[in-house]
Amino acid sequence: MAGKRGDHEYVPVHDIVDGKELRTFLEERKLKVENLPKIFSTDPQAVKLGAKEGQVIRVKRNDHSNEYLYYRLVIK
Amino acid sequence: MNEKKREAISEFDVHSGEPVGIIAAQSIGEPGTQMILRTFHYAGIEATIATSGLPRIVELVDARKRPATPITYVYLDSEARKSLEKAESVAKRINEVRMNGLVRRAIENFSKGTVKLILDMQAAEAVELTAAQIAQKLAKATGYEASVEGGSILIRLHTNNMKEIRSASVRLMKKVIQGIEGAGKAIIQQDKSGTFYIIAAGSNVSEIIKLDGVDKSRLYTNDVFAMYNLFGIEAARNTLVNELKKTLKEQKINVDERHLAVVADAMTYAGDIKGIGRHGLSGQKISVFAKAAYEETVKHLVNAATFGEIDHMRGVTENILVGKQIPLGTGSVKLAIKRSGSKKVESEKKQDKPQ
Repeated sequence: MAGKRGDHEYVPVHDIVDGKELRTFLEERKLKVENLPKIFSTDPQAVKLGAKEGQVIRVKRNDHSNEYLYYRLVIK
Repeated sequence: MNEKKREAISEFDVHSGEPVGIIAAQSIGEPGTQMILRTFHYAGIEATIATSGLPRIVELVDARKRPATPITYVYLDSEARKSLEKAESVAKRINEVRMNGLVRRAIENFSKGTVKLILDMQAAEAVELTAAQIAQKLAKATGYEASVEGGSILIRLHTNNMKEIRSASVRLMKKVIQGIEGAGKAIIQQDKSGTFYIIAAGSNVSEIIKLDGVDKSRLYTNDVFAMYNLFGIEAARNTLVNELKKTLKEQKINVDERHLAVVADAMTYAGDIKGIGRHGLSGQKISVFAKAAYEETVKHLVNAATFGEIDHMRGVTENILVGKQIPLGTGSVKLAIKRSGSKKVESEKKQDKPQ
């Protein structure tokens, strides 16, 4: 469950995604940005990245030996 | 992974429209009936026994702000984990020592305005404190005048008001003299490989992480909200999965981790931790009928009528209610007949966009 470069065993790697990656992700699944799971801009990991409202944070999750990406929309 | 393997696995992927939430609920619920319904407390065992079984599951799923038995696992850095001496010094800085654990009797003298605290020297020795040190720390923490008299501490309050003296003495007894407030009793443990770590019966991780000698990357508590506040929503989600898994495993119940992940993802979807129930997830349902079908039927219907709400009938509950096919599995697909040149169909299509 550990993130490879994360600061903590239980915190997977977070980073802010750029527009292109996000657009293809959303188009493939016919989603709107508002449909994504949320993360508060006051969340410790969002603060660390300096993420602002409306940006999307990509989480490199690693559960049960299965790596995948999870996206969260930054909200206030 | 090679292509063939990937293709073989992809046949077992969850399909679009699969009701994973309901499957998760059933998969946890059915074996859950075998769980113990009450936690037992044993007298005389020093280490705290964590809540287990059904009460713990309920606590997690309801997203209670504080667990009944918070426990923090403090792992130590490469230096401290090998030496008992260093581990003890870290444990000493964590171990919460309150005044009421050190005092045998408190005598309030209302005419002189003093409180005499008769110390339990054995308890004080156990945490390596002398009477003079306690008096000094107490004076520093409260601002009162404190002096040592043999095995007791005399506190002068310079007032004759009974109420003030009483409340001051109550406050004195609650003061944390050593360690971290809210960290609880800290016990040193040793694992099979001889590495030392500390278990604390509290969940003040935001203070514990500031200490030297603590491995900041492995600090863990079973208090989901403490993990959320310190490390964020993703850590809270992982803690939830881990705690659910641990609790079920204790009871020798095998539930696939992915069911637990669905529950944890649903609870953390909105960026904070929401319980499953009226005030959490179910309370957020958009459909008026779904809300009315659950609880407080009249209140929801009256409110909806008053404010002219619209129900798009996209959920399961409301469609069962009116006898329509539910939008899950094969029901999640909609069909439209395309008659060339028909503008009506076109406009309907726009309205019926899935989700």
